Formats: sequence, C-alpha cells, structure tokens
Amino acid sequence: MQLSIAIPSANCSYLEMLSHLHCRPATLLTFSKSFQIYRRTKFPSSMASISTVSTEKAASSNQDQPTQKTHLPLQVSPPVPASISAQFQDYYILVRCCVGLSKFDSSFRFFVLVCWHSLKWLNLVAKRLEKFKTTIFTQMSMLAIKHGAINLGQGFPNFDGPEFVKEAAIQAIKDGKNQYARGYGVPDLNSAVAARFKKDTGLVVDPEKEVTVTSGCTEAIAATMLGLINPGDEVILFAPFYDSYEATLSMVGAKITSITLRPPDFSVPIDELKSAISKNTRAILINTPHNPTGKMFSREELEIIASLCVENDVLVFTDEVYDKLAFEADHICMASLPGMYERTVTLNSLGKTFSLTGWKIGWAIAPPHLTWGVRQAHSFLTFATSTPMQWAAAAALQAPDSYYEELKRDYMAKKAILVEGLKSVGFKVYPSSGTYFVVVDHTPFGLENDIAFCEYLIKEVGVVAIPTSVFYLNPEDGKNLVRFTFCKDEETLRSAVERMKEKLIRR
Amino acid sequence: MEEKLSRVAKTLKPSPIQELSHLAQRCNAINLAEGFPDFPAPPHVKEAAVSAINSDFNQYRHVQGICDHLAKQMKQNHGLHVDPLTDIAICCGQSEAFAATIFATINQGDEVLLFDPAYETYEACIAMAGGIPVYVVLDPPHWTLDLDKLMTYFTVRTKAIVLNSPHNPTGKVFTKDELEAIAGACRTKDCLAITDEVYEYITYDLERHISLASLPGMQERTIITSSLSKTFSVTGWRVGWAIAPACIASAIRNIHVKITDSAPAPFQEAALTALRSSPEYFESLRREYEAKRDYVLKLLVGAGFQIHFKPQGSFFVFAELPVNCPLSDVEFVSELIRQAGVAAVPGCGFFHTNLSSLGLSQADQTYQKRYIRFAFCKSDATLSAAAHKMGETVDGNGHLKLF
Repeated sequence: MQLSIAIPSANCSYLEMLSHLHCRPATLLTFSKSFQIYRRTKFPSSMASISTVSTEKAASSNQDQPTQKTHLPLQVSPPVPASISAQFQDYYILVRCCVGLSKFDSSFRFFVLVCWHSLKWLNLVAKRLEKFKTTIFTQMSMLAIKHGAINLGQGFPNFDGPEFVKEAAIQAIKDGKNQYARGYGVPDLNSAVAARFKKDTGLVVDPEKEVTVTSGCTEAIAATMLGLINPGDEVILFAPFYDSYEATLSMVGAKITSITLRPPDFSVPIDELKSAISKNTRAILINTPHNPTGKMFSREELEIIASLCVENDVLVFTDEVYDKLAFEADHICMASLPGMYERTVTLNSLGKTFSLTGWKIGWAIAPPHLTWGVRQAHSFLTFATSTPMQWAAAAALQAPDSYYEELKRDYMAKKAILVEGLKSVGFKVYPSSGTYFVVVDHTPFGLENDIAFCEYLIKEVGVVAIPTSVFYLNPEDGKNLVRFTFCKDEETLRSAVERMKEKLIRR
Repeated sequence: MEEKLSRVAKTLKPSPIQELSHLAQRCNAINLAEGFPDFPAPPHVKEAAVSAINSDFNQYRHVQGICDHLAKQMKQNHGLHVDPLTDIAICCGQSEAFAATIFATINQGDEVLLFDPAYETYEACIAMAGGIPVYVVLDPPHWTLDLDKLMTYFTVRTKAIVLNSPHNPTGKVFTKDELEAIAGACRTKDCLAITDEVYEYITYDLERHISLASLPGMQERTIITSSLSKTFSVTGWRVGWAIAPACIASAIRNIHVKITDSAPAPFQEAALTALRSSPEYFESLRREYEAKRDYVLKLLVGAGFQIHFKPQGSFFVFAELPVNCPLSDVEFVSELIRQAGVAAVPGCGFFHTNLSSLGLSQADQTYQKRYIRFAFCKSDATLSAAAHKMGETVDGNGHLKLF
C-alpha cells in the first residue's frame, strides 16, 4: 500500500509513530487522511509550519554528532494561543485534532496515544521514550473503575501485609528513623537480606559489599541496567516479560533479542537460545518464577543457560520477586549454580512476599565488582530508600518458616478457586507453577485479540484481566493470551468467577 | 571483571561527602556535614504516616490528592495555574523526579547548563542520560551571576538549564533580576529550565523564594522539582514531585513508573497532611532555621572563617578558610574531624571545570579549594555542642588552632 503518496513527507513520521501502535495499514490511512483534513480545516496556517519544523527537527534528532547539527529557527505562525511557544504549537495542534476526531469515532480515542510518539517527532522529549507509554495496567485499572469491574489484572493484593511488619514500620517512624538512610541500605536490612539469602541458597554474601537496597525491585532492575549495560550491548530477554525490562533496556540503548516462551509449558527453546547467544551477548535476563506465565525455570534449563553464559562470558540478571510463591516446583537460584555467582545479579523485593507492594523495598545481590555498578546508578536514580520501611523490612525478613508456609497455603487455596473457575467457564488454562498469576487462552470466546477480549471482559462481564501482548516485543505472539491474578481475597475471587460464569459466553 | 561495568558507571566516583561522613562516624564527630536534620519530624506528619500504615494504605498507589494540594500551593505562592490531573508526577524524592526529568528530556549530546558550585548529583544524572554538563560560574565572594556572560554559555546544543534556588551549597537565593535574565535567555534560546526547589520554604531576612516558572513565558518550558524532605524534615521518606507542562509531566511519570513504579504509599498519604499544614508551620520553620543560621554564623566568624556571603536560604553556610590558612579544604575538614570532633564538607566537590574551560587560569581557580560547607539543620543541642568542641580548639584570638 502506497501510503507515502497520499501523505506529505512530514507525515512519514506519523507512519512510524502509528506503527508502534500496531495498527493495520487501512487504519493508518484512514487516520492520516482524517487528520490531514481536520488539521487543514481547523488550523489552516499551521500546515507550512508543521512540515518545516518536523523535517528539520527530525533531521537533527537523528544525527549523533552534535557538530553536524544545524538548527534552523522555528517557523512561528501560530493559529494557536500565543502563550504557547513554537515547540509546543505542533503538539497542541496534534492534541486538538485527536480530541476533535475522537468525537466522530470512539476508536480515535485510542489515537491520542499518537501524542506520545509525536513527542519524539517534536524533539521535546528524548528518543528513548518510545517505550514509555502509559502502562497497560493503568489503562485497565482506569477502565475497571469506570465500569465497577472486579480487578484481577494488576498484581497487588487487596488484603494487607502482616501486622508485625506494619508495627515495625510504625515504631521506626516514632523512633525518629525518618532521615536519609545510608545510600545502599540500612545495615540491619543488608544483614537480614544476606541472612535470608544464605538460608535460601546456602550462599554466603557480604552485606556491606554485595547487597544494595533499592526502591523496589523495579529500581533494582533499572539500576542494574544503567550500571552494567552500555549502549549497543546485546541483551537477551524471554518473552513474555515484565514491561519495565524492555523500557529500561531501551533507556540504556541496548540491543534486545527476545526469545519467546510458548504454550503449553513455556519451556525454554534451547536451540533458539543457542543461536541467539554469542560472545557479543552482554547479559541475559531471567525472571523466575515467571510473570505472567507462572513458569518456573527448571534446574535443567538453568544449567544449560549457565553453561552457555560461562562459555560466552555473559552476565545474568535474575528477577526472583516471586521466589516465595513457588507452588508446584522448587525455586532455584541461578547464582547458586557452579560458576554463576561471579556473573549474576539476583534481584528481589519485599512487596510480593509480604503483601506490601506500596512500600518499595527491593534489593540486588551481586559480587562486589558488579554491585559497584548497580550502586553508582542507584545513587543517582533515587539516592536512598525509604528509611522506616527498611527497618520494617529487616524485621520482616526474620519471619519464621511458618509465615512462608502459611503464605503458600493461602495462595494455593486462592489459586484453586480461580483455576477451577476459569476452567469451568471455558478458558484453556495453562498450568502455573509459581507467582500469583495464571495465563489462559481466551480464543474460545471469539474475540479478535487479547486487548479486545479484556475490554469486553471489563465492560460486559465486569472482570479485569491483563492483555499479555504488551509483554512481547512482537505483540502478535501474545494476542491469544490474557493474564489473571489470584492475589485477592477468596470472596473477590469467587465473585469474579460467578460473574464470568453468568456472562461470559462462548462463541 | 571490571570491564563488565558500563562506561557510565566507570566515570562515576563515590561521593566525597559520603566518604568523609564515614570518617566522621568512625571518630564520632558532630555531623554538620550531611544535609538532613537530627531533630524529629513534625508530630502531625508522623502521625499521618502511622495512621496510613494502620489503615492499610500499603499497596501500589498514586495519591491524586497530593497533586491537588500542590496545584493549590503553586497558585497561592507563585500565581501558577497547574492542572493537578496532568501536570504533576509524584516520584521517590526530588532525586528521582530530577533523574526522571533528565531521562525524559535529555538526548545524547544535549548540553545542559548548571550553575557552579552545584550539588554533585545533577552532573551524574545528566551524564547517565548522555548529556553534557556545562558550568556557568557564580563569582565568589557573593556568588553573583554575570548576566552579560550568561548568554555566552548557550550553544545550538543547549537543551536545558538547571536552577537550584535556594542554592546548595552557598545559600544564595537568585534575585528577580537574575531570574529575569535566565528567563530571557531560555526564551530567546528556546530552552527548557529544570528547577530544584527543595529549600523553597527555607528563606531568611524577608527573602521570598520566586519560582522561575512564574516569570513570563516560563511555565510552558519549566520543570519544577521539589519534595517533602527538607520542608517537613523527612528526608528518609522519599516523596517528591515534578511539575511541568502536561506532555513533559506525562513523560516523567511514565519513566518514573519504569524506574520505581510508585513512591512509598503510606508516605504519600502522610504527604496530604503535611501539605495541608497551617501557615504557622511554615513561618516557624523559617524562624527556627533563621535562628540556627545566625548562631552558626556567629560561631564560624568567631572561629576565624571568612563569611563574605550570608546565606539567604537553604540550611547551609559556605564559609571560606582564613587568608593565611595553609590547608586545603579537604585537609582542613579531616583535621577538624580529628581534632575538634566536628564534621563539615569540603567545598571542592561542588566545583567543576568545563571541558572547554572558558579561559580561567589556574590561579583564578584556587578559590575552589578554599570553601567549607557547614549544615545547620541540627538541633540546638547539636549546634551548641559543636560550638563547644570547636571552642576547645581555639587560640587566644578565638581562632582555630588548626589555622
């Protein structure tokens, strides 16, 4: 389809932008045409200015050598309020058009997302932001509130953490522990993390040199990427993946190779991995137990990955936040495999294990030479982590085995309710060994893709799930799957199942 | 395995502030170095946090009420119209707000202007994003900005200017004229301005903090960053924000979500209470800090330091070593810790040289090793203990024997 003929050169970047939204060509063309007409009628004098500005800026933003940049003065012919500067006028026009068009067709509301990509075009906002859209979780949560739907989408509990941990935080606040903590962690917490790690893996680590406390595991991931990955480095990810991995890797300018884990058992495709990994690979990122599938990497899989990493001198970053929610298999820590500790950064957090996701206490465990990089980045990302919560986390990590056993028992009961329910409603449910997530195939219900299914589920059934296509580099790979969570109280889970039984119709 | 570190990590060095802090801890010195209070946070704010934890505000949250309060404050204090739904991003402290802002706006090769001396973190953030920090010199002894020279620092590559006012380490509050010059430059050169206003409520002698964004043509190009930390003496809670035009605020929010996902939930709740504090709270904050400032100034002058510039804001004094003192700032601070048991920060860590040094000779730059930063965000007991300890090591003229 010759889209470029129909659209002036300035709008070639629109195609690029819109391609990120994975629109079909017909939709692109319709939108572009409507946009052109709309813009011409509403902002006639802006046509010339936008073309000039966009091509100049697009040209300059593509050049890496600062000395080669030519910076022509912006064309200022505002059909828009004079108080808005030239740079923002184009954005203003774009927003106005999108809002205007949305009145004609509800699907155009979706194109307000185009604004995000226009920011790159306008050079207002850094190029790295291509991956930084409003998250799918926020979008779904907003829809859920609007329709009064039961939220089995976003992965946080609707019940609270244990009293003894909350009390410890309160005590810390009252004791005046409210000022900056040591950048890499309150000593008590570092020690508690090291002690727990020893209990779990047998590995002895130095809390002062090998443990770094961060604002949640999310920050630990960001600090690890920024501290240890250079622009252009090759990094391997397993899809589907938690959305911050791709975003932070693009922030550091890494080259991402994605290896897809496929149903029904989401096992690691070893041959594909072997051909993807080479001496040029800098790092491989493993999330086990795995969000969203609930897969747990087996010892065999980890050993193969380990030997490839040793052979090619590759670093490993493991995200193990769900390690205490391991139901059908034992959690294996990559760092504990032979030859692996010296090249592994193990990431974890308090939030999932203690149902306190809003406290933002996470950590990275790594040998000193890798820890140093993580700490450097961390100190300039957030400087220090919430002090009273760190004290409470130190208390939490000393919880007896009975706490973890009860946690598992509770979650297994919840999982049973959800899984039974989903099966009886007619989903194809894939077995999940760990985490509090389950992925299912929604195609028996006849909707075209995961996003469409989730919207239907919210509006017509009143239940929220997460469309998994956002967890893949190529969303097509995930369009048949959606993710449910069972980190909710049993009554909520039962109500959700009831709603689905009543209203979800196989087509 | 050092080669496994990223290029950026290798260029970053451990903070000199933190290293001397460790020495101070080992010697049990009175800490007038690091900029956080040693007195309790206000009770009403702590109670709000405790209540939030008990009321189960412990999961991922975005507390919209904070944005509503901030919008109201911006209107009241600076006459700024801020849309609480779109223009504000809540982050883990001003630190993260600044980092997210930099990642949201700075591309490889973009130049960012900073005023020298400067808080050490800005440069590292900018470097992490691939930007190039360019330092605009504030001239001692009064840290004046040469308005004519200001424009010469801008190039075609200049993307943004960072303004920290009230200023760490000097305590300078940028004047209306200076702000107007900066604003004029931003408008002419079509640049962004990123402000760090964490000390916004700590100003003295009838000085009022003026937000750069309130100047004509500035709101649309300014990102304001600030936090609860200094205003409410809760530096360990990590609740801060960025206020910017909607498209930039959204970008910052999206980056923040990928860096930390959310600021600590119970403290966001407590922020609602904090931000509703009465005008009396802010007034007494100012008054108490002013008294401490005056006390410390008297102490330092009595001990022989040269105080050319009385701090008009923040809780730092940037004192110059006496003319005939042979020690460098680092040496002096070390000795002060060992002999007098008082810790401060050598000023050299705040000074920087531009890669393309604009003609300053070696001699002109010696002042960069002559300044010591003292923090007075400490209880009266701490300050008088410091006075006492320094008093024990002074000679007949009231000057430190170290000199």
